[in-house]
Amino acid sequence: MILKSLDPRVTRLSIELSPDESSVAKDGLDQFETYEAFVQSKEGKPFEHAGPVHAPNEEMAFLFAKEQYSRRGMFCNAICVIKTENIKVSEYTDNGQDIYNLVTDHPSGNENESFEIFHLMKRGKQHKHEGSVLAKDFDDAMAMAKKEFQSDKPVFNVWIVKSAHIMASEDEDKDIWDTLKEKQYREATDYKAADKIKAFKENQA
Amino acid sequence: MNTEALKDLLYKMADDQLILGHRNSEWTGFGPLLEEDIAFSSMAQDKVGQSWQIYKLLNELGESDPDTVAFMRNAEQFHNCQLVELPNGEYDFSLIRHFLFDTAEMIRFNHLATSSYAPLALLAKKIKGEIKYHTMHANIWVKQLGSATEESIIRLQTSLDSAMPYALGIFESSKFEKELISEGIFRGEETVKSEWLTQVKSILEHTKLTMPNIETITPVFGGRYGKHTAHLQPLLDEMSEVFKEDPTADW
Repeated sequence: MILKSLDPRVTRLSIELSPDESSVAKDGLDQFETYEAFVQSKEGKPFEHAGPVHAPNEEMAFLFAKEQYSRRGMFCNAICVIKTENIKVSEYTDNGQDIYNLVTDHPSGNENESFEIFHLMKRGKQHKHEGSVLAKDFDDAMAMAKKEFQSDKPVFNVWIVKSAHIMASEDEDKDIWDTLKEKQYREATDYKAADKIKAFKENQA
Repeated sequence: MNTEALKDLLYKMADDQLILGHRNSEWTGFGPLLEEDIAFSSMAQDKVGQSWQIYKLLNELGESDPDTVAFMRNAEQFHNCQLVELPNGEYDFSLIRHFLFDTAEMIRFNHLATSSYAPLALLAKKIKGEIKYHTMHANIWVKQLGSATEESIIRLQTSLDSAMPYALGIFESSKFEKELISEGIFRGEETVKSEWLTQVKSILEHTKLTMPNIETITPVFGGRYGKHTAHLQPLLDEMSEVFKEDPTADW
């Protein structure tokens, strides 16, 4: 039997349907690991979490993140990807309680490594990059972040990641989000059909 | 400025972009994964957009308007290389073609950014980012699948071997190489080709793929002079189907 589809291009391919294809068992999970993608919409704005991608490595994660989460034109200046397992997630708080109030005030002062700090300022919104701190480990980075970034506004959740675990687009490559402006042929607004549709409906009535 | 030489150059570049743009668009809805579906569709729009810009330059030089030029010519009036008109085949072939073509495209437009024909130099600068991303996309995929599994490596190698004679056809000399070079319009196909070979090899070095020995390959020429495979005319018929319903319609 030949596969029939509402898309004539599919039908044209004459794909032979084999009856037992659906019964072939898959061996185990074959999904790739996940990476979190962050988008910087404009120069100087903080990177903001956009969503996850599945990919076999960082470079592929970068490509998928670019296709899935960035728009060209004036909508993107840079993206970065971080392997999900490299992100340390703090506890979540609620009822306006600041997560930093649950954290020790005393960083060790051992400034061995750079960590990036992301804040969740409103439930349901995205984590935004707040800044970086030097610390000896994740707990220490949390204490440093409290010292550096705690303010009147409560933070509900913090993500911490080692700066070395971030793959970001190069500054010199930000032109990959440039595109020719003159693309009227792909804008729906260029098809001014309302009058024609109205006339057609009146004709039909 | 030698207008005949300039037009010849513009036509072959625009035709390459239009035809490959159409082939890329055929992946819409069929990509092997969602992101590739989006990527090929978006590159298709870029290529068609780039060809439109060049057809507009031709229009300013006295040729017909872009729609007429794109939709009303027959296969033998097209100057694209045969590489871009070949059917998409499976994803491995489309990827290899995209890699080989866009690498050449990037080098070509890098040169054109300093062309003595100012409108072309300006356009080259405007589309630099688009082409840079197309090559970035191709390079990452070729590196990935060119060293992933036995199947992916064999598939890419087979496609590379079969695409190479056509890819060399990109650089078929025009009648006007000398004029284009002496007037500073374009540095010529031979220059692009030698940089292209270096660049293609440097990417393949990151994979388990072998660069075919190009000394033993006969390039497939003819496209630049209107000689095409049987695949081009059906593509043109499909592409212009709607336009030809009513060429005077106002869209």
